[in-house]
Amino acid sequence: MKIEIQYNTAHSLATVHLEAGEAIRAEAAAMVSMTENIDVSTTAGHGAGGGLFGGLKRAALGGESFFQNLFRAVSSGAHVSLAPRLCGSMLVHDLQQGEELLIQGSSYVAAPDSVQLNTKFQGFKGFISGESLFFLKASGQGPVLLNAFGALQEVQLDGELIVDTGHLVAFTEGVQYKVTKASAGWVGAFLSGEGLVLRLEGRGKVYLQSRNPQEFGQSVGRLLPARKA
Amino acid sequence: MKYEILDSPDFAMLQLTLNKDDEVIAESGAMVAKDTGIEIETSMRGGLFSAAKRKLLGGESLFQNRFKSQRDGQRLYLAPPAEGDLQMQELAPGEEFFLQSGAYVAHYGDELQIDTKFGGVKGFFSSVGFFMLKIVGPGKVFYGSYGALHCVELTGESYTVDNSHIVGFTQGLDFKITKFGGYKGLFFSGEGLVARFSGQGKIWLQTRSTSSLTAFLHPFRRVKRQNN
Repeated sequence: MKIEIQYNTAHSLATVHLEAGEAIRAEAAAMVSMTENIDVSTTAGHGAGGGLFGGLKRAALGGESFFQNLFRAVSSGAHVSLAPRLCGSMLVHDLQQGEELLIQGSSYVAAPDSVQLNTKFQGFKGFISGESLFFLKASGQGPVLLNAFGALQEVQLDGELIVDTGHLVAFTEGVQYKVTKASAGWVGAFLSGEGLVLRLEGRGKVYLQSRNPQEFGQSVGRLLPARKA
Repeated sequence: MKYEILDSPDFAMLQLTLNKDDEVIAESGAMVAKDTGIEIETSMRGGLFSAAKRKLLGGESLFQNRFKSQRDGQRLYLAPPAEGDLQMQELAPGEEFFLQSGAYVAHYGDELQIDTKFGGVKGFFSSVGFFMLKIVGPGKVFYGSYGALHCVELTGESYTVDNSHIVGFTQGLDFKITKFGGYKGLFFSGEGLVARFSGQGKIWLQTRSTSSLTAFLHPFRRVKRQNN
């Protein structure tokens, strides 16, 4: 399996080249095109964390779409091309055995079945932020295709970093996180427009996106005609 | 007429340089700027009936603008509506080219014919109207994309493309609209309908789709209050 990414930064397209028998599981609606020698099946699960319940849990908590498509090559020389919904970059994180990657739900695009995805429940601290603070925990081995809204920024963390939750794409497991206020007082936290932020601490890799999908959705969506409930 | 594509691929714009009596026809709303030696004439190309057909079926605007240069060396700048790329396809006499209706930006050549081709009954059920413009040379046609333009060349094998990502394709290719991944796939996969191409030729895809953007924005719309 080889994943080729073109047209970064703004309008990325990922072409996943598959040999006979290889397969990749992708977010519903991510497919742009594919060769004829690919067998497609729609499932509610993902590998070991799958099944209907796994799918529901991911959709409800992870901000991911409920269904995933499994693209399996029936002969060699197959490819499927994938694109995210919004403008921005894509990136492959090569997950090593024993390593774990925490991915913000809407940043996940695709991975083979050798990568297991589980929803990491954040508990009460996640709920109060009002922003989607549920992560998918990727473990196992293989390429994980991620997308960003805007450009992707890779930060090597050795110490502490405060990150706006809407700008977080993913981070490796050596990084601990805590939900906190952007400024010392509650009034200041509210007025700054930053709300709650994540305090990341430790040593590892952090991927950030240069635009925040929630901010974009709110700034444009409210200008559109009202919809029926 | 000379042309240059500026600022490709993310925010492409077309710069045309016209000599005396050169004419370019463009989609209404495509003009960015022009020199004063160029005059605009707005018309329903092909008369009311064929303009209305293009509007209703092809999603093109009812009116098109004809830019005619009165002097040499006059510049005309044109841009497509969405952020993305722009390309030119040159057609020999009788050569055909198919464009997704919203992708058309402009053309050069008095003998170039543009007709709306019905995509077949199945096209009605897709979220994206599947009407294509059939363009017959000789002439040059300029078209735009949402996102990057990605070319796929087919040499006989079939190839599947999500409807909303199709921009255009050359003659020698045929397509059938089919459901994606079985009935379960049609309703649940989020992919809707796809076009299955066969034959030999080139397909241009756009790497973003406006239907994905509207699906993202929909939940952010205000909710209308019910008055009953």
